[in-house]
Amino acid sequence: MALVGAMGVFPRAVPRSPAQSAVPQTAAISVDRLPQLKGELTLYLGRGEGGLYENVLKAIQKRNPDFELHIRRGPTAALANSIVAETRAGLRRADLFWAVDSGAVGLVTGTGAAQTLPAELTQQLRPEFQFPDWVPISGRIRTLPYNTKRLTADQLPSSILALADSGLSIGWAPAYAAFQSFVTAMRLLEGDQVTIDWLRAVKRRAKNYAGELGVVMAVERGEVDVGLANHYYTLRLKSGKPEANVDLAFTRNDAGCLVNVSGILALRAGELPVNFIRYLLTREVQSYLATEAFEVPLVEGIPPPQGLPPLDTVSPPTLDLTRLADLRPTLDLMRKAGVL
Amino acid sequence: MKHSINALVLNSFVGLIAFVLANTAVAGGEVGEHVNHLSDNLEKYTTEVNWLIDKVDGIVDRYEKEGVKAARADSVVDHWEAVDFHAAIETNYMPVYASIWQGLFGVKESINKQAPLAEVRGEQDKLEQALWQALGAVKLAAQYQDRGLLDKVQLRAGGPGTSKEALGEIKMRLDRVVAKYAEQLGDEAVAIVHDTYLNLFEGVEGELIAQDADLVEDLEKDFNVTLPKAIQDKSSVDKVREVVVAMQGKLDRARSLLEKAEQGKPDVF
Repeated sequence: MALVGAMGVFPRAVPRSPAQSAVPQTAAISVDRLPQLKGELTLYLGRGEGGLYENVLKAIQKRNPDFELHIRRGPTAALANSIVAETRAGLRRADLFWAVDSGAVGLVTGTGAAQTLPAELTQQLRPEFQFPDWVPISGRIRTLPYNTKRLTADQLPSSILALADSGLSIGWAPAYAAFQSFVTAMRLLEGDQVTIDWLRAVKRRAKNYAGELGVVMAVERGEVDVGLANHYYTLRLKSGKPEANVDLAFTRNDAGCLVNVSGILALRAGELPVNFIRYLLTREVQSYLATEAFEVPLVEGIPPPQGLPPLDTVSPPTLDLTRLADLRPTLDLMRKAGVL
Repeated sequence: MKHSINALVLNSFVGLIAFVLANTAVAGGEVGEHVNHLSDNLEKYTTEVNWLIDKVDGIVDRYEKEGVKAARADSVVDHWEAVDFHAAIETNYMPVYASIWQGLFGVKESINKQAPLAEVRGEQDKLEQALWQALGAVKLAAQYQDRGLLDKVQLRAGGPGTSKEALGEIKMRLDRVVAKYAEQLGDEAVAIVHDTYLNLFEGVEGELIAQDADLVEDLEKDFNVTLPKAIQDKSSVDKVREVVVAMQGKLDRARSLLEKAEQGKPDVF
């Protein structure tokens, strides 16, 4: 088994994904350099990080007394479907959509309803996260949380596919949206047959949990050796319980270390929605999301959350994140494999 | 007959209206427009409660005089589902709504198993108490509605904005779990538990785990094992309610922890 990498120990940086023809990013800017917001916007906000996104929104409103933000909250997928339906009906109720996962963004951009954003805005992001019609705000990495009393990082496979034959007991949460995005990525990268074989093989060694925090806690208790979960659950657990028996490992260049993102898009043309998005990319907001929500900042010069290695030392696969919207074949595959 | 409205009722009103908005279809069918005009309908609701009590009394009287078959105890549920008051309480105060269903089935089942008359009358008393308490709760809701509070809360449709609000909604949904279980809709009750976990608690526990990992672990187990198991094992309604009340206590503790943590958080800008 190859060394995968525990927190802070990563062998190499691998360029990846839609980095494509994107131009190099500019450094994060301070909120002090932004224009005042004036007017009204309606934001559809996908439910995600509890009150932390709300704190950001409140702070933006407080800083801009002549700006009024109307928020409609709901599950990200439901809001995306609403926008698609509204667009088809020729309506536009939302001016902005902040989704907790890029798949939902893809659902909306696929309709052509999202506005093209100025290049100087998208260039604030790392090159692999520059898109013409939406802006990733913060990232989360698929990880292998493992029990540190039972294993060391070098006992874990460096390939997600190899996990199935590792002999380790595994915790997973198949009903969980982040897990389904990960399976979608595997399906797109490896094909249906490889994915269904993997699901069936892991199922033999896996214990089901309702959510991924539950997975991480089960790993920490030693119910299972290793889990499949987004990175921040482990960091949060360790921030409240530093002695927790869990650490993070990462696979290499496959769906097992996918970097998924929350993202925002503008449905209304004009300066106001664009300037609102600028606030989310400021040094202050990016730092806040990294320190308080343990999310991965996507603009230059902002350190990652404590306990996570720099993003450029992880090697996620090359994949257009908006393709993660293609969930139905994933669910079909998971049902066929008997994991849903 | 008791008309008691405890402090719990008062404390629950702000949150319960959010439930009304998010859930317009209820067990007895669509919620009628009358629930948005409670004051105008209080007389009707009072008449319905008296009518129901008479109907149940008639069922128990027949049981006493003519036996189980003549009692037609199953009709107690039909009577309940026939009245508008059903929707008025279901959309306003779930804990008492659950008690009504518990009372209805208490009467029905005690008759069907041919229990002693004293036992049946005991169940009848419990049902009547629940109905009067429910009428009191609806009257209080009407006052809030008249003051415009319900409209104010309606603007917040779309779900809780903060973790603290989410915890409040979780507590209400847990009341609904008890109600659905009391209504003998166990599958629906379990579905609400799962949905509440995935769509609300999951969004809170990330913040909470940094404050108290053991508390999160406890609640994880409650959501995913203890409560669904109590329902699937066909425990008594009181037992399920006991699990829910314990969870609600933990959620109150979670709220205090998050409030405390919020004070120590840095400003965004």
